[in-house]
Amino acid sequence: MRVVVAEDSVLLREGVVRLLEERGFEVVGQAADADDLMRKVGAHKPDIAIVDIRMPPTNTDDGLRAALKIREEHPDTNVLVLSAYVEEAYALELVSDSAAGLGYLLKDRVADVDAFVDSVERVANGGSALDPEVVARLVGRRRQADPLENLTPREREVLELMAEGRSNAAIADALVVTERAVEKHVTSIFGKLDLSPAPEDHRRVLAVLTFLRS
Amino acid sequence: MIGLRRALWTIGAIGVLTLTAQTTLMAEADFVKDEGLWIALNFLIGGGFLYVGLFAWYRRPDNRVGTLMVITAFAWFVGMFANTEPAGLFSIGILVSNLFVAPAIHLLLAFPSGQLYTREDRILVTLTYVLTSIGFLPIVLTVDTIPHGGFNPPDNVFLIEHNPDFADTYGIFLNTAGVIILGWVAYQLVVCWKEASPPMRRVITPVFIAGALLMGALSVLLILDMFKVSHPSDLWYAALVPFGLVPYLFLGSLVRAQMLRGGAVGELVATIGGTEPPDNLRDALARALNDPSLELAYWIPETATYVDESGRQVDLPRPVEGRAVSEVRHEGRLVAALIHDPLLLDEPELIEAVGAAAALALEKERLDAELRAKVAQLRESRARMLAFGLNERRRLERDLHDGAQQRLVSLALDLRLAQAAVREDPDRAEELLEGANAELAEALEELRELARGIHPAVLSDRGLDPAVEALASRAPLPVEIKARLGERVPEPVELAAYFVVSEALTNIVKYSQAKTATVAVGRDNGSVLVEVTDDGIGGADPNRGTGLRGLADRISALGGRLQVDSPEGKGTTVTARIPCES
Repeated sequence: MRVVVAEDSVLLREGVVRLLEERGFEVVGQAADADDLMRKVGAHKPDIAIVDIRMPPTNTDDGLRAALKIREEHPDTNVLVLSAYVEEAYALELVSDSAAGLGYLLKDRVADVDAFVDSVERVANGGSALDPEVVARLVGRRRQADPLENLTPREREVLELMAEGRSNAAIADALVVTERAVEKHVTSIFGKLDLSPAPEDHRRVLAVLTFLRS
Repeated sequence: MIGLRRALWTIGAIGVLTLTAQTTLMAEADFVKDEGLWIALNFLIGGGFLYVGLFAWYRRPDNRVGTLMVITAFAWFVGMFANTEPAGLFSIGILVSNLFVAPAIHLLLAFPSGQLYTREDRILVTLTYVLTSIGFLPIVLTVDTIPHGGFNPPDNVFLIEHNPDFADTYGIFLNTAGVIILGWVAYQLVVCWKEASPPMRRVITPVFIAGALLMGALSVLLILDMFKVSHPSDLWYAALVPFGLVPYLFLGSLVRAQMLRGGAVGELVATIGGTEPPDNLRDALARALNDPSLELAYWIPETATYVDESGRQVDLPRPVEGRAVSEVRHEGRLVAALIHDPLLLDEPELIEAVGAAAALALEKERLDAELRAKVAQLRESRARMLAFGLNERRRLERDLHDGAQQRLVSLALDLRLAQAAVREDPDRAEELLEGANAELAEALEELRELARGIHPAVLSDRGLDPAVEALASRAPLPVEIKARLGERVPEPVELAAYFVVSEALTNIVKYSQAKTATVAVGRDNGSVLVEVTDDGIGGADPNRGTGLRGLADRISALGGRLQVDSPEGKGTTVTARIPCES
């Protein structure tokens, strides 16, 4: 799997590159700013670009804007955005109308190597990976007449994992239940929230996010 | 006013008729000695009280002094019937021959406001009225001929049974009571004089001296009477002299004050109308009003408070504090307040004239005072901003030191221990590394929160709306965003607005016990308007925490205003208006 890594901190960039190469990824390009990133993506057409939000030249949200541009101009390249902090606003902006091949994670997650590699693979294969903190904040937002209050605690857990972009099998693993049980929960959740069931994982993400942001 | 004038004319006419009738009756009465003198006294004393009283009543309808003088006049007139021949009138005159003393004492104790302020005064006045009216009844019921200095007085129509022993005993009681009351009145007058302000003393002194002389003379008469010492009627006339002077002294002081003050207002106009403004406006006004205690307070519309000339805030005295307040307006706008002796309230025309003459000069002084107040405010706010900044740095230092730094130290320790254990006890090493990981995650989380508190990146990246939304979604209560700005504004404005929402939500969570909150951000007339409302217990004090105070300073530095409206039990609304050209 071919990867471009864009991160202005050399230390972190090399750490990520080493980690990915150890796990069998092929890092075809490294970039230290947004312009460089666009060039490398254009040249290498990687399966996935891993992008830090805050990068030169303006050191604000250059990485985010580059990520949106990649999704528009290079639909075959999936994007995983990393950030020192997560904002729901950014997540919703990134997802916009499709969560396919998209990830948005806190930089800290790199340290949990297995989970991180799992997320990279998921996104590289056209799936989604949303940081648990973003999801927790969206789910945890207090609403008046909150339909989420109708969910059982277990259903809430399933909803959060679903919003992160996990498949039923992964959810079953995480919660130590059978996949069959997860499917039942998912059906119940969609029923309670009045959502039409979606077959693919990344479509479920979009459906759940659309519901949560409203 | 028309009604009052007609009523006063009627009273005056009744007075004239009474005087005329009494003059005729007294001239016809054979038993009266010195009848010419009595007729003259009737004109001077009764007439004096009546006409000066009517004049004062007309000039100051709200002040009871005029009314009391008119009452004194008629009480005097009724008593004068004791010098007339018809038996019925004569007997009534005898019964109430001392009645005039009661309204006279009432007048003295109520001078010059017309009000009795203390309980003692009210008791005294009531006692006097009782004693000088029905108090005399037992005597006229038991004495057939009232000794009256003259000869062959008319019959006493009230006589029931002649009983001179009872009359003597009762007379002693009556006279003793009279002396005690007169002494008490004199004492009250002295107390009142001592407590009076200097301008007040100038007004009351002549009247009080006349009053004190009357008290003294009446006491002497009563005591002589008690011990059956015969006394020449000249003494009685002597006692009446100071009493008769009262209306004329009062009239004199009225006229004199009017003339003096008319001159003073003219002088004031000349002083402040000149090209050079007076060095001290207060002194000029104090001279014109003849009130050295005068103070000025200038109105600051922006803060709706009064300040003194150096710009310090002043609270106006309440009426009970022995000071009175008169507002001065210039072209309809409140400019200043005169804080003066309540005595001056008796002369509203004077205050109005002085106020009108000085309004422009006061407006100029007001602007100066306003400027000084602003400078003082700025100085204070600047000092507070500095202190606020220092406090923030101290807080950051403490948070870093207590939080992330401690965690990193403990992490370093865990790593060292793990390093030492890695060969001999790999399980232990793994456990330690697990702990180190957790520690590290906590440290990162804390650093992230700290950075957000200093400056939320989403605010500079995406503007106020997403930043406020992030605040709302983090809040542990439902926060409805009612209105959004929908555009980017200069960063200082965004930052200030953001911290208003952040601080307000923090306070709501901490203190308000609210169930929900709403946030609205919008444009209003060249400003950004931020409003955060909750449905909690209210009663928030904007000066309590340093948070809101620091926020108010931050906003006033941008020329804006922060307002906290928090009625008890009715929720809290924090409103910030930050000027911002679109």
